[in-house]
Amino acid sequence: MNAVIALCQKEWRISLDTPQGYVVSIAFLLASGFFFGSSLFLNGQADMRHWFAVLPLLFIFFIPAMSMRLLADELHDGTYELLATMPTRTIDIVLGKYLSLLGHISFLLLLTGLYPLTLSLLGNLDSGTVMASYLGAWLLAALFAAIGLFASAMTNHAMIAYIVGLVLLLVIFLITQAAPTLPIFIQDWVAMLGPINHYQNMMRGVVSLADVMLFISLTVIFISLSWFALARRRWR
Amino acid sequence: MPMIKAKDLSRQYGNQFAVKDLSFEVKRGEVMGLLGPNGAGKSTTMKMLTCFLPPSSGDASIDGLSLAESIQVRRLVGYLPEHAPSYHDLDVEAYLQFIGKMHGIPAATRKDKIGEMARACGLEQVLYRRIEELSKGYRQRVGLAASMLHDPQCLILDEPTTGLDPNQIIEIRHLIRRLGEQKTVLLSSHILPEVQAVCDRMMIIDKGELQALGTSEELAKQAQGGAFVLATVKGDADKLLSHLQTTLPEMTIVNQEVLADGHAHIEISHSDPDCGLAEQLFLAAVATDVVLLEIRNEQASLEDVFRELTGGTA
Repeated sequence: MNAVIALCQKEWRISLDTPQGYVVSIAFLLASGFFFGSSLFLNGQADMRHWFAVLPLLFIFFIPAMSMRLLADELHDGTYELLATMPTRTIDIVLGKYLSLLGHISFLLLLTGLYPLTLSLLGNLDSGTVMASYLGAWLLAALFAAIGLFASAMTNHAMIAYIVGLVLLLVIFLITQAAPTLPIFIQDWVAMLGPINHYQNMMRGVVSLADVMLFISLTVIFISLSWFALARRRWR
Repeated sequence: MPMIKAKDLSRQYGNQFAVKDLSFEVKRGEVMGLLGPNGAGKSTTMKMLTCFLPPSSGDASIDGLSLAESIQVRRLVGYLPEHAPSYHDLDVEAYLQFIGKMHGIPAATRKDKIGEMARACGLEQVLYRRIEELSKGYRQRVGLAASMLHDPQCLILDEPTTGLDPNQIIEIRHLIRRLGEQKTVLLSSHILPEVQAVCDRMMIIDKGELQALGTSEELAKQAQGGAFVLATVKGDADKLLSHLQTTLPEMTIVNQEVLADGHAHIEISHSDPDCGLAEQLFLAAVATDVVLLEIRNEQASLEDVFRELTGGTA
């Protein structure tokens, strides 16, 4: 557990001390603010549905940028050898990295909390739906973070990690979009396993255990895959 | 019980052996040098001993613990990988804090430990500078401080002085020598004088296999396998040599030539390194009225040993 916390703190410290952490965070907030503002002024309604609908796309482009260097840089710079020869288990390294990323994303999502606060001052906001949507967004981000981490564990180059992460997330997104044109059995699979579908359920204000469990299971699967990708490089 | 004991340690990449059947022991408190040309398997050996790479076959133990008990072994070992990797975005203090936390050093003692290591490695001046801004010598010291922070019994240092300037090399050597008084150190290098200056014993590996192991004197002697004397004489060299042959019948004349000034240059050898070849030559010169202008015991230098054992790839 020491190692998990130490790694988390180290990642945050580096994010706070270096420009790359700020650049991605600020770009995310600007893009998210743009979509929030444009839907607010175009529709003139105290409603966040449009923003929540765009959010997965923002995640698809920004989460791999936040995750790309987490493991790829360690592998590239040889610091992974340091980590791996300390008395830590590989899973501690993976969890430390994952939680630091999840913390980063959660912080950014928390900042977007200003939008519903503003809206509730302007008009009548359905707070239940907003909260369910936020939960869905957070679960979706947690899953995308695990996928980004997995991409980062597979290569020594941060840029390749970004592209692999982006492609994986785009495939997930596009399959959902294209599902109606695909054969029925694929449609069924996508409806069952596609995270975007389950996120859309939650956007309607319905939180079911099945949706939550699906996110958690898929997240655990990708964390395990990251663990596996690292463990094969190292001894136990 | 030796601190490090390797038994038939091997590591294969595909069909290629990076390290093959390596067996050796490093005694407690000893500074052992691991010497070999580039690509000889030094780093691979160290990666196995620090539980980074699993051996393909064979095993090793650190303080009696098999490498299979990797978490325990890692607690005993301080490791400085080649090129001393570290997080360049952190300052030295934050980096050492991170290493301390990873090793589970309690917060109460961590700060003192860092101070102690900073003093030992001469890092006090740069403690709050980003590692990125430091010279290579300082980064190497940061790596050393990090490897020793948890007070390991055994230090494994992969090329600790590569890329340093001569002054920095001397400083790091002193530091390692000082550490060697309390800890067991295994360090690798492809620079001979370095190993000679710092290590109690050394082993030479080439193509993943152990070629020689011993103190530098032992290795030099082993390589030469006999006594070898060079001399310049004024007078009758033939008479001198035939007289010498009566006292040392097994003596061989390797070379004999007349120099431009009329003096003679002779090179003689004897299979027994302890036969007193130079002394006998002196006595023979006295007996035959020959003047010895120069007499020199030729020692095989470590360079010779290294070249001989590693097929001239030094």
